[in-house]
Amino acid sequence: MTEALSYFTTAWFDPWLLFLIAAGTFAGIYIGAIPGLSVTMAVSILISFTFSWDVNDALCLMVGIFMGGVYGGSRTAILLNIPGAPSAIATALDGYPLAQRGEAGEAIGISTVMSFFGGMVGIALLAIGAPIISDFALTFQPRDYMLLAILGILLVGSLSGESLAKGVVAGAFGMLIGTVGLDPLTAEERFTFGFTELWNGISFVAVMIGLFGVAEALGQLRQLELPAIKQKITRIVPSWASLRRYLPLSLQTSMIGVIIGALPGVGGDIAALMAYDYAKRTVRDPEVPFGKGAREGLVAPESANNAAVGGAFIPMLTLGIPGDAVTAIFIGALFIHGLNPGPMLMIEQPHMFWFMVGNLVLACVFMLIFGLTGIRIFTKIVEIPKGILIPLILLLSVVGAYAVNNSVTDVYWMLGFGVLGYFMKQYGYQVGPVILGVILARLIDENWRRAIISEQEHLGSFFANMFASPLSLVLFAAVVLTVLSQTPVLGWIRRLFRRA
Amino acid sequence: MRRLLVGAAALTMVVAGPVVAQDFPAKDLQGIIQWGAGGSTDVVMRSVTPHAEEVLGADVVMQNKTGGVGAIATKFVYAQKADGYTLLMGAENPQLYKVMGLGDIDYSSFVPIDILARGVPILVAKNDAPYGTLKELIDYAQAHPGEVKVGSTGPGGLPSVVTAMLQSQTDLPMTAVPYDGDGPALTALMGGAIDVMPAVLGAALENIKAGRIKPLAVIETEANPVLPDVPPVTDTLPDIATYLPWGPFFGVFVKEGTPPEAVEKLTAAYRAGAESDDFKKLMDERGYKLMNLSGEEARAFLDRWQSVTSWLVYDAGIAKKSPEEFGIPKP
Repeated sequence: MTEALSYFTTAWFDPWLLFLIAAGTFAGIYIGAIPGLSVTMAVSILISFTFSWDVNDALCLMVGIFMGGVYGGSRTAILLNIPGAPSAIATALDGYPLAQRGEAGEAIGISTVMSFFGGMVGIALLAIGAPIISDFALTFQPRDYMLLAILGILLVGSLSGESLAKGVVAGAFGMLIGTVGLDPLTAEERFTFGFTELWNGISFVAVMIGLFGVAEALGQLRQLELPAIKQKITRIVPSWASLRRYLPLSLQTSMIGVIIGALPGVGGDIAALMAYDYAKRTVRDPEVPFGKGAREGLVAPESANNAAVGGAFIPMLTLGIPGDAVTAIFIGALFIHGLNPGPMLMIEQPHMFWFMVGNLVLACVFMLIFGLTGIRIFTKIVEIPKGILIPLILLLSVVGAYAVNNSVTDVYWMLGFGVLGYFMKQYGYQVGPVILGVILARLIDENWRRAIISEQEHLGSFFANMFASPLSLVLFAAVVLTVLSQTPVLGWIRRLFRRA
Repeated sequence: MRRLLVGAAALTMVVAGPVVAQDFPAKDLQGIIQWGAGGSTDVVMRSVTPHAEEVLGADVVMQNKTGGVGAIATKFVYAQKADGYTLLMGAENPQLYKVMGLGDIDYSSFVPIDILARGVPILVAKNDAPYGTLKELIDYAQAHPGEVKVGSTGPGGLPSVVTAMLQSQTDLPMTAVPYDGDGPALTALMGGAIDVMPAVLGAALENIKAGRIKPLAVIETEANPVLPDVPPVTDTLPDIATYLPWGPFFGVFVKEGTPPEAVEKLTAAYRAGAESDDFKKLMDERGYKLMNLSGEEARAFLDRWQSVTSWLVYDAGIAKKSPEEFGIPKP
């Protein structure tokens, strides 16, 4: 135990490591905040430099960037309605309306504190429950992933704004985009029209930057003469009373974040959206309706996406399985430094586990400090004249889209989706469901086919086995309940019975 | 006379040597990696290259260009000038592009600088599977046709080739369930979503050591030093030896037509890199076989690999085109 504690605090008393975590977190917040620059990108660029470094130095810096970056995405989501990272898509839904009311300072304050809280919950569960949670994550079968993805696609109901029909259209379009490329199971070309550039599909990050960044920038061109909203920065750190009020919701959504984060192949973006949906459904009396600037709509995704960081490390540190794209790069870093990530890591290198947990705690603390100190200057971004701000956003979008895969094709896609997103917004179509469709299309497609192939293509045994597995049954029930509660189906059935 | 010739040769080398050295490399090089950051190709390339840079006296700026099972990077390097400044850092995949209908460029359009290492395939099963050896698996699968779920990574991937090898030797009715790569498939194996999986030893090693999955056989003619107790596949199916040794590989390539001086320099640099202790240690630990082949040897290895694998996948019915169309000889 004392040994674990000494590993845990390795970086705490080492000024150089401490500095690296702080620097990483600081850089992460800004990388996360700048639309286009992503944590995955930063970490994968960094990994090439860190090969010649000491492994501890490299890990400290990368952990800082990861934690800071996931949080940083919320900044621009709140201030500019442009999520800096996929995991901040849900944050924009209520964060931006808050900024429009001049309460950006408070919104960032809440998101910072809740990110810190969620991050800590994630780390705590990593520290005490990692082996149990990773074994639980392993029990997810293709069928369960499919049900989870269907549950995800039903989030369209929460994201479609005023018209569900338009939301469904947008979501279906997203799913169509998501199917472009080599079929992941058979390497057959789908919607590629013979272009090799399309084999890998349309980069979902390029779609996101276009739909959110460029479309929003173009949209704001229509309101150039509107004066910038003066931000009142009276209260940044939320009051104790309001914290107590949101704490239960934050704890619940953090749990969602940890579990979703721990599932291989599903990350903080889906966790945050599911948490938002959960809040929308369970919070009975928000002070302001959801979508108009409800603080609960900020608390839920922000807790969940930072909790997902700890969650993503659970399968990585216990089994050597990446929980998301960033932890996949961490695994590569460990390999290159001669530490074999896998189920033996915790036995052969127990210091690594506690070292990482300690670093995550530090990164979380630095996130809180840097998050709360820079707000005053940050909120000024909203007050920058549009003539400067909009070209800047466009420039960053181009850089970001190129940098994901070093591909000019992605830049064209990004611009194309930017124009499309502009018209979608003008005609009342939300862009959120498109992203949701793109993210989930593959998950549903692959896992449905895996599940049915595993049953030797018997639909009967597919359902029979689904009802035999408690996990599948719970997920199936959740899907059915969501459909019933979000659509008028229940009403039709009731009417049918009354008539009979 | 002989001495004079040697002297003359030495003289020309002294005269010619510095000119070549000044010629190449005159600037930094670019290394295009076919697969993503943190993957096995990436790790291999990023660990060998710093040692090669020392010999070259120039930096190799590495970049991941992923997608299309490596075709995006392959096409990109092929579109560059054949001056030796753009290196293709790749895995075995392009050797199957032609028969899989994924394009017409393979490593025959490139000059191999160094085939660094080869992976050893191993057949693993989930822990609670009712069989513990390859023989028992074959018996079980024949008694329960189609019930055994074998993990795959799509047509042409290592699992599909190894499965085809096994099925060429005996009746082995299994259901192939495709995953995105050997990582996700091994995860599924641990979770019990699939029953058996042919994987590269390096990817499965840690899980085998931890007792989370059980090894049935290594796809080699002899046992591997990192897992000495696991029997080679030839113990059960001796005739499979005609395909062996076989395995995925990692290599550095330049476009055909690159000046010989540049090829020579690069070859020397990467050979030294592959001989470095760091790299050897990494390969040993991960269960890879160091190859360090260049020139004619590398070409022969590539040709044999392509011929064995193309015909295997073609005979198994998962190839789109016949290897004959491309003049790939039968092994």
